[in-house]
Amino acid sequence: MRVLLVEDDDLIGCGIEAGLRQAGFTVDWARDGHKAGLALDTTVYALVVLDLGLPRVSGMELLKRLRDSGKDVPVLVLTARSTVLDRVGGLEAGADDYLGKPFDLTELIARCRALLRRAQGRSVEQIRYLDLTVNPAAQTVEVGTRRVPLTSREWAILLQLLTNQGIPQSRSRLEESLYGWQEEIESNAIEVHVSNLRKKLGAKLIKTVRNIGYVMEKE
Amino acid sequence: MGASIRRRLALLVLASIVLMWGIALVSSYRQATREVGEWEDARLAELAQILALLDQRNLSTLANARIDVREEERHGEPGANDNDDDDSLPRDALFQVRGRSGEVLAGSPQLRELGAWDLPVPVASGARDITLGGQMYHSFTLRDTLLGHTVRVFELANTRSDLVSGVASRIARPTLIALPVLAVLVWFSIGWSLAPLRVLSGAIRARDVNRLEPVDIGRAPTEVRPLVDAINLLLSRLLHSLERERAFTADAAHELKTPLAAIKVQAQVALAETDKARQRLAMERVVQGVDRSARLAEQLLLLARLDVHEKMTAAPLKPAVVAKNALLANERSAQQKNIHVTLTGDMRAEINAEPVLIGILLDNLLDNAIKYGRAGGSIEVAVQHAEDRIQVTVRDDGPGVAPGDLDRLTNRFFRATGNQATGSGLGLSIVARIAEHFGASLRLGKGIGERGLAVEVSFPAYTQAS
Repeated sequence: MRVLLVEDDDLIGCGIEAGLRQAGFTVDWARDGHKAGLALDTTVYALVVLDLGLPRVSGMELLKRLRDSGKDVPVLVLTARSTVLDRVGGLEAGADDYLGKPFDLTELIARCRALLRRAQGRSVEQIRYLDLTVNPAAQTVEVGTRRVPLTSREWAILLQLLTNQGIPQSRSRLEESLYGWQEEIESNAIEVHVSNLRKKLGAKLIKTVRNIGYVMEKE
Repeated sequence: MGASIRRRLALLVLASIVLMWGIALVSSYRQATREVGEWEDARLAELAQILALLDQRNLSTLANARIDVREEERHGEPGANDNDDDDSLPRDALFQVRGRSGEVLAGSPQLRELGAWDLPVPVASGARDITLGGQMYHSFTLRDTLLGHTVRVFELANTRSDLVSGVASRIARPTLIALPVLAVLVWFSIGWSLAPLRVLSGAIRARDVNRLEPVDIGRAPTEVRPLVDAINLLLSRLLHSLERERAFTADAAHELKTPLAAIKVQAQVALAETDKARQRLAMERVVQGVDRSARLAEQLLLLARLDVHEKMTAAPLKPAVVAKNALLANERSAQQKNIHVTLTGDMRAEINAEPVLIGILLDNLLDNAIKYGRAGGSIEVAVQHAEDRIQVTVRDDGPGVAPGDLDRLTNRFFRATGNQATGSGLGLSIVARIAEHFGASLRLGKGIGERGLAVEVSFPAYTQAS
C-alpha cells in the first residue's frame, strides 16, 4: 500500500513516516504542497495523509485541486487547528477523515486502515479469499488454520492483488506499491516475490496475465 | 462622600445669587437711608422757616407745647393713612429763636436740660449734626435777615428709622422667599442637565468584557461628546489589542501543538521500534522536539512581555559591544556548521536602548543566520554610522529567502519554504518587535554577494542632546 505523506515539519514527518513503515505501508513523504501535487499527478496512491499548514500550496488548496481533478483517493487530514469550524471546512473540501495535532500514532494508523477498508468496500479488517484469511492490521496470513509468515514485500504484493481482485496489476504498478521514492527497485524482484507467494500460499492463487502482469480473480 | 458636580454647581450658583442680592440690598438700604436723611433735613428747614415767621407770643406758646414730628409728617402727607413706616416712639422737635442781638426770644425748655440753651449759634445757615446730652441731634439753623431772627431746630437723630428699615424689609422679603424656590429650581435644572452623564455611565456599566463596540447614547451634548469619543477610542484600542492577543494565543497554541505532536509521534515510533539504532534515533528526535518546544515557549514569553511593556528603560549603549557578546554566545553553533563570522564597522557608535533586549535582537539575527546559512559559508555583522542613524546589519550567504516570502518573514509563526532547520517562526517577529520599541526600522534584503539574506536594523543614533 503506497501512502503519500504531506507534512512540512521534519520531526513530525519522519515520525509518521517511520510509524507507517512499521505498519507495513510504503511511504512517500512530500514536504510542501507543490511537491505533493506533482507526486499525486504521477503516482497512484492508496491513501494521502495531509497536513493542512503547508508552505507554498496550502493543504486545503491541494485537497480542492485533488478533488477537482476527479481523484477519489482517501485523504486523512492532519492539523493543529482543530476547531469544529476547521474540521467542517476540511471535511467539506473533500477530506475523508480528520485528526488534530498532537495525535496518537496508533490512532493515525488505525484510521488509515479504516479509510483503506472503506475505499475497498470492506467493513471488517479481515479479508477472506478462498481458504486464505488475511489481516492487514496484524499483517498475518492464514491458509486454513495454518499461519504463513510473509516478508514485507510479499505481503505488500499480496495486499495489492487482494484489494484489486479481478483487475490485473502490471509489474510497474506492483513496484510502485512496493518501493518508496528513496528505494532502489530490484529488476526481477516482482517475479521472485510472486513465485515465493505461490510456494507459500498455493500455486493457483495468483494468475499470470501475459504481457500485463498478475491478477487474483474475483471469488 | 465624593465631590458632586451637581452639589458644587448648585452651591456656586446660589452663593452667587445671594452675594449679588446682598450687595443690591445693602446699596438700596444706603440709598434709602440717605434719602430719608435728606428728607428729614428738608422738613427741619421747613419747620425753621415757619418758626421764623411766628411772633413772640406764638413762639412762647409753642415752646411750652410739644411738636411731635410724627404729627407733622401726617399732616404733611394727606393720604398717608398707613402708618407702617411711622416711628413708634414720639419724636419731639426742639427749637430756639434768638433776636437780632442774640437774646433768646423763645425756646423749648428741654434745651435747657440738655445744656444747649446757650449754645453758640453757627454763623451760617444750614443743617448739621450735633451731640446734645450724649445723643445725636439733627439741627437746622436759619438766619432770617428780614426780622433779624435766628431760628435753630433740633431733632433727635433717627438712627434707627423705621421708615428705612421698612424699605429694607420690603426689598428683602421677596428675595428671602425666592431663595429656596430658586435653590430647588437650580438643583433640578442641574440634575436634568447632567442626565447625559448618567446615561453614559449606565451604558458603560451595562457592558461586559466581550462587548467592546462603541458606546452610543444618541445625541450627546457638546460637553459630553468628547467624553463619549474618548471612551469609544479607548474601547476600539482595547478591542484591537484584545483581538491581537486572541490571535496570538490561537497562533501560539497552534505552534505549541506542532512540537508536541512531533514528540508524541517520535516517542510512539521509539516504543514500537525493535531495531535498537532506529529506536535510539527516534529518542534523539524526542529530545529535539522537547528542546524545540522549550525554545518556543521561551520566545512566546518574550513576545508576550514585549507586548505588555509599553515603556522600556533605555540607556546609551554600543551595538558593536552587544554584537560581540552575541557572537561569542553563538560561536559553538557557528563552528559546528563551519561558518566564519566577522564583526566590522564603527565600534564606538551609540544608540539609546535596553542592552538585554538588543542582545536578544542580535542573538536572534545571528541564530537565524547560522541556522539558515550555508555550511562552510560566512556571516557578516556590521555596525555603520550613517548621518543620524546607526545601522546594524547581519548578512549571510545561505540559500536566502524567496522574494515572495520576504514580506511575510517578520509575521509571527511564519516559516519560509523548504528550510530544514527547526525554528519557531518567531525569531524575526521578536526582532521586529524589539526594533519597533526603540524606534528602529527593519529592512530585509539580499545578503553577501547577492546571496542569502541581509537583515538591517536602523536605529536613531544617540547624541548627548537626545
